[in-house]
Amino acid sequence: MIGPFPLGVVLVANRGEIAVRIIRTLQKLGLQSAVVYHEVDAQSPAVALADHAIRISGRTPVSSYLDGDQIIAAALSVAAGAIHPGYGFLSENAVFARAVEAAGLIFVGPSADVIELMGDKIRARNFVARNGFPVAPSAIEEDDPDTFLDRARAVGAPLLVKPSAGGGGKGMRIVCDLAGLDDAVTQARGEGQRYFGDGRLYAERFVERPRHIEVQVLGDSFGNVVHLFERECSVQRRFQKIIEETPSPALSDDVRKKICEAAAGIARAAGYRNAGTVEFIYGRGEFYFLEMNTRLQVEHPVTEMTTGLDLVAEQLGVSAGRPLPFGQDDVQSSGHAIEARLYAEAPARDFAPTTGKVLALEYPQGDGVRVDSGIAQGQAITSAFDPMLAKIVVHGATRSEAIARACRAIDNLVLLGCETNAAFLRRILGDEGFEAGEVHTGYLDEHPDIARGAALDENVERQLLALAALLTRPVRDAADAVPALHASLGNWRN
Amino acid sequence: MHHTFNIDGKTHALWLSRSSGGYRLELAEGWSGPVALVENHKGDVRLMVDGCDEPVVYVVDGDLVHVHLGGHSHTVRYIDPLVELSGVADSAGYNIARAPMPGVVLSVRVSVGEQVAAGTVVAIIESMKLETSIRASQDGIVEKIHVRDGESFDRDAALITLSQEGS
Repeated sequence: MIGPFPLGVVLVANRGEIAVRIIRTLQKLGLQSAVVYHEVDAQSPAVALADHAIRISGRTPVSSYLDGDQIIAAALSVAAGAIHPGYGFLSENAVFARAVEAAGLIFVGPSADVIELMGDKIRARNFVARNGFPVAPSAIEEDDPDTFLDRARAVGAPLLVKPSAGGGGKGMRIVCDLAGLDDAVTQARGEGQRYFGDGRLYAERFVERPRHIEVQVLGDSFGNVVHLFERECSVQRRFQKIIEETPSPALSDDVRKKICEAAAGIARAAGYRNAGTVEFIYGRGEFYFLEMNTRLQVEHPVTEMTTGLDLVAEQLGVSAGRPLPFGQDDVQSSGHAIEARLYAEAPARDFAPTTGKVLALEYPQGDGVRVDSGIAQGQAITSAFDPMLAKIVVHGATRSEAIARACRAIDNLVLLGCETNAAFLRRILGDEGFEAGEVHTGYLDEHPDIARGAALDENVERQLLALAALLTRPVRDAADAVPALHASLGNWRN
Repeated sequence: MHHTFNIDGKTHALWLSRSSGGYRLELAEGWSGPVALVENHKGDVRLMVDGCDEPVVYVVDGDLVHVHLGGHSHTVRYIDPLVELSGVADSAGYNIARAPMPGVVLSVRVSVGEQVAAGTVVAIIESMKLETSIRASQDGIVEKIHVRDGESFDRDAALITLSQEGS
């Protein structure tokens, strides 16, 4: 095992399941942990688990977690040596990364320059193309705004029009017929302006029935970069991932090798340090660079399950200035892992977020099952944050064993008091197309029945009514008021 | 008189009665049979319906019963006849917002004489450790506030009286 880290206290600038997950590794490594929290998270597991919890405030709960100055002050108040940003919030904010370093702290992530490079889709794409890695045929508006529409037409339909500053699918438009290009450009520009304050666009070849393949990479300060194989995240609703797995059932060994080596090559060219993910779009044997996420990814546990590595520990190691403790040939992937994201949302009502209070909570257990959760019994589920509650991760020797385990794990998951997407996850895992490994990113939109679900079975309805009747006081009282003998004569009180 | 429950927006009427061995459920949609809830020494609960039994996990939360059964979670709502009635203006043209369950008033959100629209939150209460918004069931003017912040009340207690608009 590695010796003590010269990091001192590590402050986690995040919340929910990822804060818990990072703190657990800090504990495993014998490091002290600190976490910042907004009042609404005071009862959350991360706050209970951390050695130090520092309250931060803001106009809204989300804005407190985006307040870099307050977070750095919190870190200094507990004499922290490093800040781990998790994912989301400030994790890909170069200004914050610079401020952390200016305050004499270590930012657990890549250099601010690399965050900036990869944060700008156009610069990132040009960088990747310049270094000889595949990017989709495209037209970039700012190359020459006057000819943008002509150049976009020259790429040909189907086209994907996106805001340059975008992310998370916001403002993206698919153009199947070039006659609709002008409208799509106007809409995408408006959304880009609204969401990102930046109306610049680019258009690229849209891959039909595209699959989302991403590769985990890890780099140190000595120029060593390894890949930890791919993850497939094609099960998406509105460009948001729901189920992720590794290895991808879409790739041949030959393509797998090429895509993983391309990812490592891109990271190496960028002088990448820390954990990162290179995302590709894949279809018909071809893959194109999509973007690079310069942080830990929500779905990183599937990679941990198949490689046996702890990505947060590796992040901390390279942040502390150590070389990667292994080379590419030492990284082996074994078996198959699947992650399903449990969301507080109603798939049948167009994925509307749901709220409530966790009244009962039982997580599945057993061989090959890992649950990364940020909630505890009694906790209120509000709509203040992203609706992800927990991640159910399973590992099996084969893909079909992993699917079977994932199904069982979700059947055994009990969360009462707030509606979740659990039944929806279960339907996806049991879907023929998913089982056959044929899901692309538009699959759920093409199969709305999976989100809707079937009407309640008559027998289940009876069971529910029987239970509710037995548990409802006035119903029970009314029954008990009439002795069995009289009751047997019929409903005579009416 | 039947009891009314709601599952996923669908209303069901039923009657529960005593029978020699326990309880018998009668559904208005046309089914009846013996039902029972059995708990073993380990605290595991099984629901028996017409001879078939299945493990269940449940939580009762006011008028809601949250159930995990057969790998899925469901919520069944009991439609309290009093609450149901209180949603309808009485003969004097008043509409009273009543407590759906016993609890404590966290905050009254309106004042006497205020005009409110249907759906407006008139008070926030806490019951069974849960915050619940009490909403006006129709448009009206706040006629009387029966409770103060911090005051506790019983189920069906009158919280706010609205007079009907124009009456």
